[in-house]
Amino acid sequence: MNSLTYKLIAKDFHQHRLLIAGTIAIGLISLLVAGAGTLMLFNIGMLCWLTAIAAYGCVLAMLSISGERKERALLFVLSLPLGYRDYVRLKLFGVMLCFLAPWAILTAGAVVLVLAKPGMADGILPFAILLCGFLLTNFSMVLSCALFARSEGFITLVIIVHNIAISLFIFLVGPIPAFRDHLQDASPTWGPEFWIVLAVEAATLFVIFSLPYFVVARRRDFI
Amino acid sequence: MFDSELSIHCIHSMYSGINISQTDARPMYLQIMEQIRARIAVGDWPSGRELPSIRALAAALSVSVITVKRAYLDLESEGVIVTRHGKGSFVADVNGLAGELQEEKLEEHLAAAAGTGRQLGLTPEDLAERLRRAIRNLDKK
Amino acid sequence: MTATKHIEMHAVRKAFRFFTLEDLSLDLAPGQIMGFVGPNGAGKSTSIRLMMGLLAPDAGEVRVLGHAMPENQALAKRDIGFVSDDMRLFGHATLGWHMQFVASIYPGWDAQYAKALIKRFNLRAEQNVSGLSSGEHTKAVLLLALARRPRLLILDEPTSGLDPVARHEVLNELMDVLRDDDRSILFSSHNTVDVERISDCITFIDRGRLVDSSDKEDFLERWRRIYMQVPPGTALPDLPHLVSRVVDGQFVTLTTDRFSPDLLAFLGANVREVHRMSLEEIFVASVFHHREVAGL
Repeated sequence: MNSLTYKLIAKDFHQHRLLIAGTIAIGLISLLVAGAGTLMLFNIGMLCWLTAIAAYGCVLAMLSISGERKERALLFVLSLPLGYRDYVRLKLFGVMLCFLAPWAILTAGAVVLVLAKPGMADGILPFAILLCGFLLTNFSMVLSCALFARSEGFITLVIIVHNIAISLFIFLVGPIPAFRDHLQDASPTWGPEFWIVLAVEAATLFVIFSLPYFVVARRRDFI
Repeated sequence: MFDSELSIHCIHSMYSGINISQTDARPMYLQIMEQIRARIAVGDWPSGRELPSIRALAAALSVSVITVKRAYLDLESEGVIVTRHGKGSFVADVNGLAGELQEEKLEEHLAAAAGTGRQLGLTPEDLAERLRRAIRNLDKK
Repeated sequence: MTATKHIEMHAVRKAFRFFTLEDLSLDLAPGQIMGFVGPNGAGKSTSIRLMMGLLAPDAGEVRVLGHAMPENQALAKRDIGFVSDDMRLFGHATLGWHMQFVASIYPGWDAQYAKALIKRFNLRAEQNVSGLSSGEHTKAVLLLALARRPRLLILDEPTSGLDPVARHEVLNELMDVLRDDDRSILFSSHNTVDVERISDCITFIDRGRLVDSSDKEDFLERWRRIYMQVPPGTALPDLPHLVSRVVDGQFVTLTTDRFSPDLLAFLGANVREVHRMSLEEIFVASVFHHREVAGL
């Protein structure tokens, strides 16, 4: 990674520092609420935590990519000594890093909450981890689409799909017996279903990340 | 007492007074030539003085290099300035108004006058008288 | 030895849904300023984006500073300062941040000059970019490009939205660039007065096609408006290189793009006046004539 790439990624971080800090704060507070004791507070807390990560992802993708394009700051970036491939690569990498920071902290926070809180069954852990993994994969889909989309309408559609996908994940993966039956267990069960879903998430992530390299190679117009 | 009340921003430089106006009907290169000729004629730019480089003058006047180049080329063909390749341009010698080229032009005119005078059957004295008359007419204007 | 041209476009074609840039060729030699003039929608911005490698041509070649574009744009852009009137800086940062950012990327950054420009352009480094007026923003972008002292400056409407004082300052700085005969500038502008003043060569473009490209002084010398008074019954002379002829009774106005003393002699005694034309007049006459001829 050359110094220009590094500087531009640092610029993205600098630009979104308040957003990142805010997301982390809201997420951590949500986790505290979730751990307060009652089921109601748990539900509220988890919902807020989930929303914080999902919403952050969408806002981030919109601001860094569509926003930059719309705000014409893209032209300034393009006047710098880099090529089209460099730009797509650094955007992918940089924005991903911006997402990973709060995501990692809030995922770790959720895991800590589950393990540390005596009242919370550790059996929920596998599902929780898969959910966190899904949020990451889901975000990378939005990011990829934002890089290629030329119209804002398309990106809005992608964000809607992203939000629906989260609910779908919970409703489709949650009821799977391997997870549902062990939610109240005292210790987590790392069954084959867990590894399969995790593998699918990882593979999807890999595919989404490689897509730019194929599509980019064919496109020659920046604007 | 006036000095303290008025503070005029004084710029003293070789060509700060040269102004090229685009609302003037005359083309820019002619304006440059005129203003340079004027300075040479009054002696502000004495014989042998180096002119600013074409690019330096262009930058100072905010006028294209090609325009200044044209002005310098025309001034040189008039004999007002001389350009030494690789060294720069200088105000020409001999009152700044006559140069080698002017001398050549004079010789040409004299040769033509001599030839025409012979065709008309004038003697050298007649021809000299005619020349004196022409000078007197010139002085009258 | 002829130095490498700074910009070389050869028979470039770029097609969009409703507009096509066709067979565009132009050259910019080092040490020169080229004024790029055309009506709105003529293809100036498209051409400039092709030069910057932001668009790839459908046909033809684009080389800038010897580099093929868009393939080698990363290399070429190290030495190019690009300013476009629709370019925006990062809204969340200050001008000072941008200066430090650009300085860290380009080794040619001249901090002294940057400081002088801030003063001359009446800007403040601590000011947030989002708080700048559009004129100040333009000056800020120009400052960032100028202070790097790039070999080539490509400017798309650099003086649009600037007050006369700011325009004067900007033109001074641009002419200052040309003190170095290895640096060059290409700028597009609607301000034909400025183009006429500082350009060494001028290119006219209209509806995606090249109309004319020549030395500025050549343009100004070739074009004339000739006012004639032709007595009734006299046939009008058939003139080569006639761009337009307007007849109002006995009064005839001819516009030509190939003026010469011979032409005047040919027209004879009916000529009342001969006027030079401003670049704006030349441009408008050129475009209309080109549209007529091309049937556009």
